[in-house]
Amino acid sequence: MKRGARTVADALVLAALVSYAIPFFWQLLTSFKPEAELLRVPPLLPNQLTLAHYRAVVEKSLMPQALANSFGIATLTTLLALALGIPGAYAVARLPLPGKRFLLLAIVASTAFPQIATVSPLYLLMRALDLRDTWSGLVLVHTSFALPLTIWLLAGFIREIPIEAEEAASVDGAGLPGLFRWVVIPLLAPGLAATALLTFLFSWNEFLFAYTFTVSEASRTIPVALALFPGVFEVPWGDIAAASMLASLPPVLIVVGLQRFLVRGLVAGAVKE
Amino acid sequence: MRSRAWFAPLGAFLVWLLMLGGCVGRPEGEPVTLVFKYARILGSADPLPGLLRAFETAHPGVRVKGEALPWTSDDQHQLYVINLEGRSPGFDVLMLDCIWVPEFARAGWLADLTTHLTPDELAPHFASAVTAGMYNGRVWALPWNMNVGLLYYRTDLLARYGLRPPETYEELIAAVKQIRDGERDPALEGYLWQGKQYEGLVVNVLEAFWANGTRLLGEDGTILPEPARAADALRFLRGLIEARLSPAWTTAADEELSRRAFGDGHAIFLRNWPYAMDLFQAAGSAVRGKVAFASLPGRARGAAGAGSTGGAHLAVSRRSRHPELAVALARHLTSRPAQRAIALGAALSPTRRDLYHDPELVQARPDMPRLDGLMLAGRPRPVTPAYLLVSSTVQPEFSAALVGVKSPERAIADARGRLNYFLEGIR
Amino acid sequence: MTRREAVNRRRGILLMAPTVLALGTLTVYPGVWVVWLSLQHRHPIFGVSRFAGLDNYTFLAVDSRFSSAAVTTFVFTVTSVALEVVLGVTAALAIHAQQGGRRVALSLLLLAWAMPAVVTAKLFEWLYHPTAGLLNVALGGHALNWLGDPRLALPAVVLADVWRTMPFVAVLCYARLLAIPAELYEAAQVDGAGRLATLVRITLPMLGRILLVAILFRTLDALRAFDLMFVLTGGGPAGTTETITVYAYRALFQTLQLGFGSALGVVVFALVMAVAWAYLRLLRTSTVTA
Repeated sequence: MKRGARTVADALVLAALVSYAIPFFWQLLTSFKPEAELLRVPPLLPNQLTLAHYRAVVEKSLMPQALANSFGIATLTTLLALALGIPGAYAVARLPLPGKRFLLLAIVASTAFPQIATVSPLYLLMRALDLRDTWSGLVLVHTSFALPLTIWLLAGFIREIPIEAEEAASVDGAGLPGLFRWVVIPLLAPGLAATALLTFLFSWNEFLFAYTFTVSEASRTIPVALALFPGVFEVPWGDIAAASMLASLPPVLIVVGLQRFLVRGLVAGAVKE
Repeated sequence: MRSRAWFAPLGAFLVWLLMLGGCVGRPEGEPVTLVFKYARILGSADPLPGLLRAFETAHPGVRVKGEALPWTSDDQHQLYVINLEGRSPGFDVLMLDCIWVPEFARAGWLADLTTHLTPDELAPHFASAVTAGMYNGRVWALPWNMNVGLLYYRTDLLARYGLRPPETYEELIAAVKQIRDGERDPALEGYLWQGKQYEGLVVNVLEAFWANGTRLLGEDGTILPEPARAADALRFLRGLIEARLSPAWTTAADEELSRRAFGDGHAIFLRNWPYAMDLFQAAGSAVRGKVAFASLPGRARGAAGAGSTGGAHLAVSRRSRHPELAVALARHLTSRPAQRAIALGAALSPTRRDLYHDPELVQARPDMPRLDGLMLAGRPRPVTPAYLLVSSTVQPEFSAALVGVKSPERAIADARGRLNYFLEGIR
Repeated sequence: MTRREAVNRRRGILLMAPTVLALGTLTVYPGVWVVWLSLQHRHPIFGVSRFAGLDNYTFLAVDSRFSSAAVTTFVFTVTSVALEVVLGVTAALAIHAQQGGRRVALSLLLLAWAMPAVVTAKLFEWLYHPTAGLLNVALGGHALNWLGDPRLALPAVVLADVWRTMPFVAVLCYARLLAIPAELYEAAQVDGAGRLATLVRITLPMLGRILLVAILFRTLDALRAFDLMFVLTGGGPAGTTETITVYAYRALFQTLQLGFGSALGVVVFALVMAVAWAYLRLLRTSTVTA
């Protein structure tokens, strides 16, 4: 394609994608629109911008606490999933295991588990263990759901590591911890980042379990806080828009900022196919 | 051999995060905090904070934390059910829709209040409100505010055509036709009511059942004892929509949507609760001074209309860490001064009958004495622990009939079949 | 077995043990327990807990609300996945063809996918607002009752879901496109193949496998979909957006019918497993090798 035509085509594609993201930008605009102008459309653009909605959300709503809860739970989930997943993925990728085929099948099948199927027993379990309305309960449940995918992804990445590197380490006399510390984890870094990112995202965005297992601000996560956003007479669209933006900020920043890792991780997986 | 220097700090960080997460639990100590869960109050001013502060002043060292419930009745119920069954502490005083009291009492989530009350303490309240708060002869919740379904109408429009408030639905329909023919305003709707798939729909359908001389649960607990009449009532409601006497969006309308449309002057009749009157009479309202309410109509062949009663009660959680204080708070909030303040400041009607003739209240809300009589004439929804089960089972059937995807007969038959199975399951 | 193999075998068990424990207690055990629950009448509110055999399932077989939910689930899944795949491949091809601005393009696309489904639901609830929603403003005088009209609610939900998940398919395809060796294209050019022929003969077949994977993931997700319709419509006007999952959740936690709700959960479970099994057989040729 000629240079000029290509540039025009590029611009068109970008324009199309900007239009695709319009729902997001509209919500962003709404969060800055004064209350009085919200329901009076057209005109689409407001006369002035205001921070009133953000102030209302930060000062009077439960969102700040929910943000802290979400952040803590997602971080702990990621750490726990990696702590369990890295050794597990290594075992799957490199070591002979009794009943490995069955194990793999079970792990793959677990990725397909519908949450609705396990929510009733887990509800009874959490009630018995008194883990409702705590971070631990939700972290455990999120981890159990993220673990199969974590292992599957990491196993794929581990297979990329040249076997010579591991053999060199064992020749050097490194035990299992040494092997992980000096060979596996460093070489796994980009795949690790992609997996950690996906796990964090999953935990942050998860709704069904969070809705069922959280009660109060002590453990309520962002999606639940947003779904239960209180209104009096009418729905406070502006406040909800501001809360939505705050809720999306971390995941959007992560995904957009680390998209290179994401794509690279997927490319590696795709090449392996 | 290798330094594991990063294990310890990481471990410590994790432990710190876990402790932050509250798995250690909330510490007890001064001050004692009571948690009061309630739905936000509609009205010009919110009198609740003042009442809570008054309680704190009377009980030094006690803090009362008011926590908002979700907006809709069904969402509130779901939150309560998940958490009360999940044995969460952290609820002390609960605002309950009156229809939940037998259910929650049966489930063992509420504290028995009977021994905390003096013998005639509940006498000043409406008898139906007191009964709604009882189960198996014990008192489980104190009446807090009261509702009854009313027919709102535009006095100016009816006067213009020399009509009086309709006593039957047939009269109502005739009035709508006459007024719309005369006004020739395409934006003027006839009769607004709530047809969205939620608890409010069941209220509206029950009122239609009663107007047609039938009911949802028979005396002996039979489900839909006269299915033909029930189907007929459903057909009547569906007919209102088909004939455009009620707008098509009725099937998506809740109290607020219908109230807003009527309050903007776009309808002749509205079925709603007493709170709406306050908003219609507010300054700047398009229908200020042009609205009155009457009892809901019946059907021409004899059954008198009745509005459904409703309202909120206050109960104490059985797992409350401070039961005595919680009961004191509940009694404080349902006391005469408190109910009076709420009636004045918000748009909620009290359950104490003498307040309906209180001079100051009557001056602020001239309709109070009439409301007293209408409350007495109201009918409660079935008072049974299984009410929510029944309601959530029939909601989709009624909605399907209103939307037109099922015939009324089929909807009633399906409702009976499903109710039979579910109620059998809890026997 | 050599000593080396014995050491490795022990290591394998050691490394795998925590995972097996976690998954066993939190996924497998509940997975079995839910089946047991589904065979009971279990109502904590009424203190009922008794064996019911297959009663819940025989009831479901004739329950009109269930068949309606099943149809809704099916329609939602099929239309959602079809639209995502078509749009996703198109987007991937468009971005892949770009000379510059790919990162910006990907970022714009990933905006939709990054946020929680609840945020998307609130976003679209505002977009679909009867008077102030952007859609109805754009439609001018022909405003539609998106979330209140029983005929429009499901398409509205599908639209929101496609918007949210199409980027996932697009990025997956884009990554695959990046991995196609340039020599293939050069060889085609030398052979004199036009753009369309290149697309059909080289690009699309190379995308084939990754598309199957994407379709598998998206189908499983769509079958289990909950967040979006629960928050956006709550099951919709007259149950038109009520999927089996939403029905199950209501049964479980609105009325605490733990036995009946579990039966619905088991149905979703079986459905998802059946679909997964069917797809995996399709992919059998070159799955993740053990």
